[in-house]
Amino acid sequence: MSLESYSLLNCAILTPLVFAVVVCCLPAASAAAIRWLSILGSLLTGVLSVMIYTRFNPQNAGFQMERDVPWVAPLGLSWHVGVDGISVVMILLTGLVGFAATLVAWDVTKRQKEFYVLLMILISGAIGMFASLDIFFIYFFHELALIPTFLMIGIWGSGQREYAAMKMTLYLSAGALVALFGLIALYVGLPVGERTFDVVKLVAFAKGQPFSASFQHLVYPLLLFGLGALVSLVPLHTWAPIGYGSAPTATAMLHAGVLKKFGLYALLRIVLPALPSGAEDWNWLLLALLLGNIVYGGLVAMRQKNFNFLLGYSSVAHMGFAFLGIATFNDLGITGAVLFMFAHGLSTALAFALSGFFFAQTGTREIPELGGLCKRMPFIGTAIVMAAFASVGLPGFANFPGEVMVLFGAWQVKGWGIKAGAATLSWPVIVAIWGGAVLGAVYMLRAVRDVCFGVLPAKWQKLGDANLPAKFPYLVLLGALIWVGVYPRELTETIKPAAIAVVEAMEKTKAREPLPPKPKPKPTPAKRAAKPGKTPARPVAK
Amino acid sequence: MDDVTGLLWRILAGPLCAAVVIVLICRRSPFYADFSPVMERSAGAVIAIAFLLGSTWFAWMALDAVKTGNVTTSPTYRFIDVGDLEVNVNWSLDRLSVMMAMIVCVVSLCIFVYSVGYMHGDPGINRFFAKLSFFVFSMLGIVFSGNLVMMFVFWELVGVSSYLLIGYWYQRPAAAEAGKKAFIVNRIGDFGFLLGILLVWNVTGSVDFTDIRNYLKAHPAEVSGGVLTIPALLIFCGAVGKSAQLPLHVWLPDAMEGPTPVSALIHAATMVAAGVYMLCRVSFLVFASPAAMDVIAWIGGLTALLSAVIACQQNDIKRILAYSTLSQLGYMVMAVGLSVPQVNGYMPAMFHLSTHAFFKSLLFLSAGSVIIAFHHAEQDIWKMGGLWKKMPITTACFTVGLLALTGFPGLSGFFSKETILGLARERNEDLFTLATVTAGFTSFYMFRALFVAFLGQPRSEAAGKVKESPWVVLGPLVALAILSVIGGYTWMGIPGWLVGDKGLSEAPAGTNVLLLAMLAFVMGLALAVVFYLCGPAEDPVKTKFPFLHRILWNKFGFDEFYLALVKYVQGGLAALCELVDRWVIAGAGVRGTAGVAQTLGKMLQLFQTGGLQTYAFLFAAGLVIILYYVVTQ
Repeated sequence: MSLESYSLLNCAILTPLVFAVVVCCLPAASAAAIRWLSILGSLLTGVLSVMIYTRFNPQNAGFQMERDVPWVAPLGLSWHVGVDGISVVMILLTGLVGFAATLVAWDVTKRQKEFYVLLMILISGAIGMFASLDIFFIYFFHELALIPTFLMIGIWGSGQREYAAMKMTLYLSAGALVALFGLIALYVGLPVGERTFDVVKLVAFAKGQPFSASFQHLVYPLLLFGLGALVSLVPLHTWAPIGYGSAPTATAMLHAGVLKKFGLYALLRIVLPALPSGAEDWNWLLLALLLGNIVYGGLVAMRQKNFNFLLGYSSVAHMGFAFLGIATFNDLGITGAVLFMFAHGLSTALAFALSGFFFAQTGTREIPELGGLCKRMPFIGTAIVMAAFASVGLPGFANFPGEVMVLFGAWQVKGWGIKAGAATLSWPVIVAIWGGAVLGAVYMLRAVRDVCFGVLPAKWQKLGDANLPAKFPYLVLLGALIWVGVYPRELTETIKPAAIAVVEAMEKTKAREPLPPKPKPKPTPAKRAAKPGKTPARPVAK
Repeated sequence: MDDVTGLLWRILAGPLCAAVVIVLICRRSPFYADFSPVMERSAGAVIAIAFLLGSTWFAWMALDAVKTGNVTTSPTYRFIDVGDLEVNVNWSLDRLSVMMAMIVCVVSLCIFVYSVGYMHGDPGINRFFAKLSFFVFSMLGIVFSGNLVMMFVFWELVGVSSYLLIGYWYQRPAAAEAGKKAFIVNRIGDFGFLLGILLVWNVTGSVDFTDIRNYLKAHPAEVSGGVLTIPALLIFCGAVGKSAQLPLHVWLPDAMEGPTPVSALIHAATMVAAGVYMLCRVSFLVFASPAAMDVIAWIGGLTALLSAVIACQQNDIKRILAYSTLSQLGYMVMAVGLSVPQVNGYMPAMFHLSTHAFFKSLLFLSAGSVIIAFHHAEQDIWKMGGLWKKMPITTACFTVGLLALTGFPGLSGFFSKETILGLARERNEDLFTLATVTAGFTSFYMFRALFVAFLGQPRSEAAGKVKESPWVVLGPLVALAILSVIGGYTWMGIPGWLVGDKGLSEAPAGTNVLLLAMLAFVMGLALAVVFYLCGPAEDPVKTKFPFLHRILWNKFGFDEFYLALVKYVQGGLAALCELVDRWVIAGAGVRGTAGVAQTLGKMLQLFQTGGLQTYAFLFAAGLVIILYYVVTQ
């Protein structure tokens, strides 16, 4: 047994922590050494995340690279790590964004040592929360990642940084606390001898003995709102714009790109497989709120004058799409949601990185003060245009296949149809396309016109473009976005078995009491006729 | 059966490679310091033209292969395959697609060469050719895509390249604004297009053209009775956006902010025609729904008439041509809506599309040649005049384009327009009248432009100093002029090619249609002669009919109406949402919760003065109160 096969995940979690300790021991004056060591640390983590992704065998359903060490056996606590198709993609995202974020952190000029230590801890926490399969450690790593962001915003932020840090702390802690109640309820809801924090065991047990319908009905909202606050589900979203508006670049990238996906990930990993009946009961509410995200978030984004606030509201709007995919409860929608989470992580990190680049020189992100940046910063300007197009779902970027799959998946949900003449239209999809494709284009292209195009104000005549090393992080993110955008099957083949597993688990863990008819759609007869040799449930080999 | 997939992706790869190579190497660099001036100024054009020549050659080979029959293609790779959604990167190879590809390649070649002259001395010329090549790549993608999702992909990509090219001079606020407007208006159309794709997938279970066609054939009962009306109309929404039909036509005139070669290639010859091409591509779907076809025909007809009327009072030479493009696109869309599948299918629409591609790009390029002569400073026809003496070749080319457009007998536009008019005569008398009246207006506004801008005496100082453009500009003009003349003849074979494999008729229209169309042409010409040939200093329509002029000048107020809609409805909603966000959610909700906690804390804080006497006093007071209660109980 070689190193890689069973402890690659442990390595990826520990590497940034080790580097954090090493950087901690360096004298604060040796800024170059601190920076290069941190870059090395994030590079190694990135390489490890790519290795985890490439070693992962998409043809095997279930968890891989598992490692299960009992820790507090009486409580059912264990150090259980492992990845399936969903978490492996999220770890890859963390590796890529973490590396890019460390590279763009050159704009941090004060107390660099502390900043990089916190950054390394943040990356470690993010990888840990996606690699863990024990609720205790999932929660622990999430907090480990969150606490550095508060400090980073409060100390290295700009604008109303203390207010922003405070607001974010209170909001996210409250959300996490509510979610914690829900998680503890799951634990307590199990019979005494079977109580465990292990996600795999918990879901497996629920498959045999589902939670009662009333229990699911009560506990699901706790988890939905608790986790929803972490994903900026309307109306629990107001922390996001102000938080990203004040955060230092690297923090905004990692938080908006990676940490924000945690709530969605936990929904898929723990909540849906354990509480499907609750999820179905409350889906009307989730649907209303996520459409609020898409439309209301988009409308508010139109009024923003600060570029980072605009990006913040745009990410609020985009989270609606990820929620929409999850709310379909079918493999197409869920696969699309995970792909969209990956794509959104990259594109939003790219956008924040670019806004950080010009902010370092102009000292402002107020859109009316900017303009014509393409003239002095052709590379950065072009990249902003590309990031904007990625964000509005232009084909060629990874966001497009994600959105398409989410929309097609949502179209299949039977309960959402309305009759129009002889045709059946899905109204949530209509609203979502309007909000995503039209409103999204309006505010994004307005911002691009006002920031990149037009006349360059006299005071910005001396701005400089990125040099080759500074371009590197942007190129990494853009390259990944375009690669997945052109060949999405690279990721969807990995995600698909895990998404199918979620859907299957949901089927089995439904409460056994009489419930309203399930909304799982049947494929159309034509599809069956068109693809006779295709097995519907299990994926075929790549 | 020959598998020619390799040929097809090579056609697409050419322009894409050109774009990438130009972006990567055409710049100042220490690696080739000596060549830097060359690389910065002219390498981009050479690379773009070379790759495009390659693509044209491959497209010609594909055309040859289709001619011999017996060709097949295979999917290049799978794009999405999850659940019930399967999307392949596959291809449509038939007479329709190869002909469209040849038109795109030939017109692009002419315009690429022309751009070398037109963009001479522009500092961003490499960027220009990179974007233009990227456009050709996306356009060819639309032409060859084999399923609805891939078509949507390239559909969006041509949208973005159009956005980038309209805003090519991004430092001009008007250009940046026009690009944005074009993209957003197109997005509104694409909103419907995507819904249509979803609906078609829902009904037939596939997005692949072949599968959908087979499904419709195999299940006539399930798709009868108007099931396909809404999907067809939604898909038509995409064409309304891209081909700038009513009511989404407002972006095209503004798109003239882009460089003239862009207007000629994208906003006249190819991209705006993509909507018509798409309707022909999914004709099996459109033709299955008579109700949808009626709507399509009427929208096309009304667009044709309305824009022809507006064009009569525009003064910017490119805007006149833009409205004329709208009007001709209206003809094509109307022709799709009127098609008779058993007689000649979509042939009339595609025939007019091809001849229009030649003569409209010719007209735009001639206008561009005039703009070069005015040093890119003047586009108002009332500041021109008398150009024919100094610019004889440009004037001749413009006249050829004009005659082709107005349907002068013997030129390409004559044949294609007569085909459409003949079709309208058979299918719908009202639309026939409408189309004939439009033809009259067409001849009026085009001769107005000719008389005012090219004939008479110079109306400004600059107009007296113009000189003929260089041959790199005139060469493409002459080539396109030849195509505009001969494009319509039977021996060129465009209509025959289009109906060939179906054994449909390609007979031209009857004599009375011809006579009526000629009457309209002559009346428009006569009116233009009366008003404009004598060389007035100001538009007589403006002085004599100020009210009419105002309405037409304001283009029936569409822009104002939409601006108001955007400003008050969308802006109002956004403002309302922001207020709610700031005061209700963030204010009352979040800060309120925080505020209550804070106020309580502050109140308690009042007691924590830190003074010993206060504490002693409070202690004593509390003790007294407790004692009082204890004693009184």
